[in-house]
Amino acid sequence: MEPLISIRIRDPHRRFQPGEELQCEYQLDAVDARDVLALEASVLWHTEGKGDEDLAVQYFERLVPADVEGRDLRALRRLSTVLPNSPLSYLGVTVKIRWCVRVRAFLRRGKEVFFEQTFVLGELPPARAVAGDEVAVAAVDDEPDDLE
Amino acid sequence: MARIFRLWEKKRGDRRTGSQLVGGLGEALFFGILFLLGALSLAYLVVSRLFLAAPQLYQPGFGFWVMVLVMVSFTLIGGSGVVYTVLQVGTSAERRSAIALRAADIDLLSEALATQREFPTIPRDANLTNSPGIRLAYRLPVTHAGPWVLFAATAFFLVWNSITAVLVMVAVRSHMSQRPEWLLTLFVLPFVIIGIWATYYFFQQMLLHTGIGPTTVEISDHPLVPNCVYRVFLSQAGRLSVRSLELTLVCDEETTFRQGTDIRTQRCRVFSQRVFIEENFRIEPSAAFERECELAMPANVMHSFRAKHNAIHWMLVARGEAQSWPVFERCFPVIVYPARMSRERG
Repeated sequence: MEPLISIRIRDPHRRFQPGEELQCEYQLDAVDARDVLALEASVLWHTEGKGDEDLAVQYFERLVPADVEGRDLRALRRLSTVLPNSPLSYLGVTVKIRWCVRVRAFLRRGKEVFFEQTFVLGELPPARAVAGDEVAVAAVDDEPDDLE
Repeated sequence: MARIFRLWEKKRGDRRTGSQLVGGLGEALFFGILFLLGALSLAYLVVSRLFLAAPQLYQPGFGFWVMVLVMVSFTLIGGSGVVYTVLQVGTSAERRSAIALRAADIDLLSEALATQREFPTIPRDANLTNSPGIRLAYRLPVTHAGPWVLFAATAFFLVWNSITAVLVMVAVRSHMSQRPEWLLTLFVLPFVIIGIWATYYFFQQMLLHTGIGPTTVEISDHPLVPNCVYRVFLSQAGRLSVRSLELTLVCDEETTFRQGTDIRTQRCRVFSQRVFIEENFRIEPSAAFERECELAMPANVMHSFRAKHNAIHWMLVARGEAQSWPVFERCFPVIVYPARMSRERG
């Protein structure tokens, strides 16, 4: 059975402005405590699209059993970080920038599992390619799920 | 099992479908063998030189030092490859990014780079604001492919026409000596046609580069922020009968990706807004064309962005069509900050 990772971002809309604080809870489950070698939680942006992927973390925390009480990494944990001014979430034509909270667990025998929960930084509308001189910025979409 | 021993796997940039662990082991094995080969051969080479009767090839001289150089390079490439692979295996992309961020933070402690820390991934505008304008605050630097196109056209023109000249001489000589080489003559004809085109293109580029006067763009403030209004001044010098000259604000997405062993870059225009257009007028050397106007930055647009493989560029593009001249285009990059900056300023 695959281990389960759950991530819950406090703000149910999962939309943030630069400088706001992101708070979230995460937990690892359905795995024996002795099988978990390390747990990494990060808040990061990464690109998607035609180009090779770029990635940068805003917040990063790595825990090993020795760091926690009872050597059990499965307990519910919280993280909070102030989001930066840039880059904003962006849905371009060939470049997409997505923000997410990612939790990665390192298990025995070199096994790794991860789960991520996306959120939106800023409120930019999706862009689309232009032909000629027309202005081509589509209307604002209010649904954060579009970024998933 | 099939996942481990598959013969082919998909790969795009750094991403691949196979097991990362197996891939890492394969890489480590390859570099390890290279390291051992280099180190053992180097040791044998040195020992045989010092203590044994070395074969002729390994005697001090050109061959000996070439062998030393090759073996040292094997050792260095293999050794660094093993260290790099070991560091990569078992380390997540997030952890590597966090390590890189901490290293970058040491540099960013200086005040000069404070904006880089305040607005990560937005390029600095120091190179765009270090030249004061005559009418407005800043004169923007121009970036265009002109010099490179002229250089390529010149190189092609010289190389191609040199080859063609030699071939033409041989063909002409054969005709003059009453022993015509018809096959060579036919072979030379396409060379001559391409040579004529290369000559025409070279002179066209040279005229374009030197004949059309400089374009200057100045701006009242920088960096730009959405939903703000700026003053822009454009000046075009030269001796031209202009059909149209327009200034446009554009935003391009730029992606770099690996396709096989090639690295490709693709640009896609996602925003274009005309600032002004002027039609049917003359420019004299004594009276350059000058135009000052407003630039209204749109709201809700993406800011400038630059990462290793992806970028979003904003620029002002001056595009002109003049009588008896090919179309010319000159780009003036600008930096756009997120809209929040404008609220803070307001």
